Amino acid sequence: MENILTAKGLTKAYPKFTLGELDFEIPKGFSTALIGANGAGKTTLIDVLCGVIHKTAGDVTYFGTEKDIDREEVREQIGYCASQGFFPAAWKPKDIAISMELAYKGFDRELFNKLCEEMEVDNEFSRKPVNMLKQSDGNRMRLALAAVFARKTDMLILDEPGSSLDPLMRDRLCDRLRDYLDEGNGEKSILFSTHNIADMENAADYAIFMDKGKMIERGFVEDLKDKYIIVRGEPADYDKAKALMLSHNVNRTTFEGLALAENARAFEELSAVRERPTLQQLSVGLLKHAEENR
Amino acid sequence: MQNSDVPIYKQIAAQFKEDIMNGKIAEGEYLPSIRGLARDLKISVITTMKAYEQLAEEGLVSAVQGKGYIVNPQDREMVREQHLRLLEGHLQNAIESAKLAGVSREELINMINVLYDV
Repeated sequence: MENILTAKGLTKAYPKFTLGELDFEIPKGFSTALIGANGAGKTTLIDVLCGVIHKTAGDVTYFGTEKDIDREEVREQIGYCASQGFFPAAWKPKDIAISMELAYKGFDRELFNKLCEEMEVDNEFSRKPVNMLKQSDGNRMRLALAAVFARKTDMLILDEPGSSLDPLMRDRLCDRLRDYLDEGNGEKSILFSTHNIADMENAADYAIFMDKGKMIERGFVEDLKDKYIIVRGEPADYDKAKALMLSHNVNRTTFEGLALAENARAFEELSAVRERPTLQQLSVGLLKHAEENR
Repeated sequence: MQNSDVPIYKQIAAQFKEDIMNGKIAEGEYLPSIRGLARDLKISVITTMKAYEQLAEEGLVSAVQGKGYIVNPQDREMVREQHLRLLEGHLQNAIESAKLAGVSREELINMINVLYDV
């Protein structure tokens, strides 16, 4: 399996927060989800990878050979979308189109207008288009996504693209992400962050879990679903089961938790129900485990 | 996504297996591209990939470098044999459960008769 991005010893140090150091790869031809609670360092990591802020130490290699994110050719290939504050408040769709056209050779203005229409926001040709200030958060995100999808890129790096969208639009975003991968036929890759993976489970192939600036787990989603199990059982067995679970909770009728699949036999003896986790259940279990073991 | 007893990749593999067995997808044909199928089914690429890998493991298809997955010539007799083995295993389980629950041989056969027509 080839990688689109490799990081070695990556660190970003702030007075009160340190990201890293991180060693990881982003697989080529897939969609990778960066999952973590607020404050885990997702945005910091994305900003470092996209050259918005500079790393303190470490190495990042893009597209196999490129090391310098400040090179125009590298930036041209990466479609970066921040989670907010994309465009100045007074800008209208036309200003966005003009500036994007100036900034990126691969920006397709016609496609941008078409994408705006598809995402049901004003484009250049709308009658009396509103400026950014008057847009809702969701509409700002739609415009920013239209702008980034209208570019010719080899990798998308999107910071919380789904958070401000309504469920229907989030579903359409997932469709578009899968379209992007399909068009790329194994050559295009995606990295997106989220603190809520539930609605985007089926748009994630690889997952990286973060807590307090560190990576706590990563892997292909199907492999992770084989590695862990969700267990459920009688409250009476909770004390026995507790030691084998990474994170758990109990109430009057049942206990539930996340465990390693290699311990499945032990739960069988407690006649606990075992399930293959969803990515959402994995996220909750792993993040909770990390939080309790800081 | 709700949990279901059977993981999605297994459901997809089973559907393709059926289509290959009954000739709906002929030998020498290519399966849909991994990313194209993921798009059409609204599932992740890795899930489709895992389904295809399972089909390849079972010998139903082969990966062709750069071209995708091609349907292998099927030895129908061997496939039937495989199914019979599986069937035997399932019946064994059913009989065990029946004994545990105190279901008699006649009752069990009766249950099969009823279920067979569903």
